[in-house]
Amino acid sequence: MTEPIISFKNFSFQYRSLSEPTLKDINLDIFPGEKILIAGPSGSGKSTLAHCINGLIPFTYTGTISGEYQLKGKRPDELSIFEISRTVGTILQDQDGQFIGLSVGEDVAFAYENECMPTSDMKARVESALGVVDMLPYMEHSPHDLSGGQKQRVSLAGVLSMDVDVLLFDEPLANLDPASGKHAMELMEELHQQHKQTMIIIEHRVEDVLEQPIDRIIVMSEGRIAAVGTPDELLASSVMHEHGLREPLYISALKYAGVRFQAEDHPSKLTELSRRADVQEKLRTWLDDGDRGMNIETAAPLVSMKQVRFSYDGEEDVIQGLSLDIGQGERIALLGNNGAGKSTLSHLLTGIVKPSAGEIYFRDERINKWSIRRRGKHIGYVMQNPNHMITQQMIKDEIALGLRMKGLPTDVVQEKVEETLRICGLYGYRDWPITALSYGQKKRVTIASILAMEPELMILDEPTAGQDYKHYTEFMDFIVDLADRGMSFLFITHDMHLALEYTDRAFVLHDGACIAQGETSNVLTNVAAIQQANLKETSLGVLAREAAIDAPEAFVRRFIQHERKGRRS
Amino acid sequence: MSKSGMLYVDKDTLFHRMDGAAKLIVFAVWTVIVFLFQDLRVFVPLFAIGLILLFLAQIPYKRIRLLVWIMVVFNLFNSIFTLLITPSYGSEVTGTATVVLDLGYNVLTLETCFYVLTLTMKYMSLMPITVLFIFTTHPTRFASSLNRIGVPYKIAYAFNIAFRYVPDLQTEFRNISNAMQARGMGFGKGEGSMRDRVKHFISIAIPLVQSSLHRIEVVSNAMDLRGFGRHQKRTWYSATAWRRADYIIAALSVVAILAAIAVRLSGFGRFWYPFS
Repeated sequence: MTEPIISFKNFSFQYRSLSEPTLKDINLDIFPGEKILIAGPSGSGKSTLAHCINGLIPFTYTGTISGEYQLKGKRPDELSIFEISRTVGTILQDQDGQFIGLSVGEDVAFAYENECMPTSDMKARVESALGVVDMLPYMEHSPHDLSGGQKQRVSLAGVLSMDVDVLLFDEPLANLDPASGKHAMELMEELHQQHKQTMIIIEHRVEDVLEQPIDRIIVMSEGRIAAVGTPDELLASSVMHEHGLREPLYISALKYAGVRFQAEDHPSKLTELSRRADVQEKLRTWLDDGDRGMNIETAAPLVSMKQVRFSYDGEEDVIQGLSLDIGQGERIALLGNNGAGKSTLSHLLTGIVKPSAGEIYFRDERINKWSIRRRGKHIGYVMQNPNHMITQQMIKDEIALGLRMKGLPTDVVQEKVEETLRICGLYGYRDWPITALSYGQKKRVTIASILAMEPELMILDEPTAGQDYKHYTEFMDFIVDLADRGMSFLFITHDMHLALEYTDRAFVLHDGACIAQGETSNVLTNVAAIQQANLKETSLGVLAREAAIDAPEAFVRRFIQHERKGRRS
Repeated sequence: MSKSGMLYVDKDTLFHRMDGAAKLIVFAVWTVIVFLFQDLRVFVPLFAIGLILLFLAQIPYKRIRLLVWIMVVFNLFNSIFTLLITPSYGSEVTGTATVVLDLGYNVLTLETCFYVLTLTMKYMSLMPITVLFIFTTHPTRFASSLNRIGVPYKIAYAFNIAFRYVPDLQTEFRNISNAMQARGMGFGKGEGSMRDRVKHFISIAIPLVQSSLHRIEVVSNAMDLRGFGRHQKRTWYSATAWRRADYIIAALSVVAILAAIAVRLSGFGRFWYPFS
């Protein structure tokens, strides 16, 4: 057997500032040429493991290490971070941070520059690296002109330029729209086929990663390795579910329908199962069991937009005559590719920008001219990046901020803050400094701080970004409760799971116009609209089609009913 | 602000082609000459030349408007305060006093008016060249040329990074202030007392600093992971070689500064007042 390229033996690591080890007793060998997925909920230690592999631990983040870690047979303390970086190339989650140069070409050349390569040799090498990731026409572009997926490709080219043995991807799908994520995974597979580097992908969106072949999955949980196996082995078991990971939707559907399968049935390939007559039979029976149709009552509109137009420069309309009603207590998904106008739409609703034509109503009042502040009393807006919203040191104060601005008496503020903390599951943290929280927890704090103000409509921009399945489920269930009490929600999201399971209606934006709207299960099985908006058909829809079920949207609806019943009971 | 998030305006003119270090030399020489003299006969031609150069650089006025206005307004305030606070200072310099206006506490003299005019032109003659330098110098190319004239590359790169992230910081500031307004914080007129509004602006500083610190952490990790700082030296992808024009202009600049010093030493260039 060949020597492992990466080898952990009884490895533990504790950050200097923490009282408990983040990684416990890791035993793991990764062999040259393997393609590995490291999955786990947030706080499971998967990012810390990545830091150990790329040398940020121990060179940037210090702490106590016990046990053994070897990269190509050498311990990291025998190397420097620079030597490690020649073996392990990292593609960071934050593409803006990773993009150092002021143009695409310059960014790719960054590593060459540091290696003192003569300027004349660089150009040719940069061109060939950009050619590999299909970004050559963008060589002179600045990072601001690129989409998230394109930035990631440039980062990849920058790392490929170093001829590394190991490519480490830290949550590569986190900031991409579904179709771009799919392309990214395809590109990674292509590179793996051609260059046979070792590939390590850290990601909790298991379904999206598994669309391409993976050799082994490592499931992390609470700082330990909970399971290691091939995708087939792990999908046939229930280990992902047990450790707070979302298994692929079609796998859940098969399990709900009572289909039994083993690793030998190759559950990682959807069509292997969907073609089998016994599986199709079981799926049909399950579909017929369900109650037909979900009736959406049309609620009186709380907020409505009528023929709204908006343009930043007075020439090109970013929003092109959009009409939209949000009913009381409704949960609506706003879907669309990056740049479709989703953020602009939320800015129009919150008053950050004003429409150039058309009307916006709140109940029956025209609010076109209302200031951000005035609208803030009724329409809460939670931004995608929690760091843009947090101004206080303590969680309690952060949540109290809006209430104090309203001029409420101290005891009322206190009472409301405590209630909100309890609802959001943050009560145990109330006296913590915000800096001690994880990204996902900070996000909760920002949502709590808006919630405390009791707006009638809450706009959530990518609420589940950076949250793992377990937290996200808890959190979304809590939002469902609020919606049942009459609060309305508009979710701006790329997350098809979220739209499917938690929203009644979906609204698809493309180039500032609405290209599809209606019941979410119908919209998400509308293949034409999905493709146009750079979204991705859910695996449920694919399963239904492949299994020759006539009405995919009915199948999707059946799945949602099953899940909701499961959650409520 | 441009879409690219930089101040740099991409055009193909002599100034854009010039090496950053050569431009820095011109800028330094220009500044030194301006501060050597106190003579309107020097400043007016310099200002005129500066404007012509600025025109030749083809920078759209829309892009530089804000900076130009800031400079003009600053200059105006400076002049007004000089006139009000030291209305007879010009007479102390020339030794003559031609009263224009009796202010009560002091008299405003024609000499002072002329002195303020000279001072204004002094600053104004720096404006075109400053704008020219800022808007025609590509940050990375500037960093690479700084490195070549002997500045350590880590310091030179810091310039580059600063240029790169200042515009991002502006966007972030806007985002945060929008989020705070939606939560009821007042920033505008009539939205709370002056004291509260100032307090609110200060409170934005916290997330702004925090997100900058976070960004610094991410960027410095990204740079480490790609081998920045490994060697004593580094090369530059966007390095430009000095062309003949650069050498000629640098040489001319050196000649100009030597000539200016010689002229100044000969006694010319103290405050010039034509009416005495």
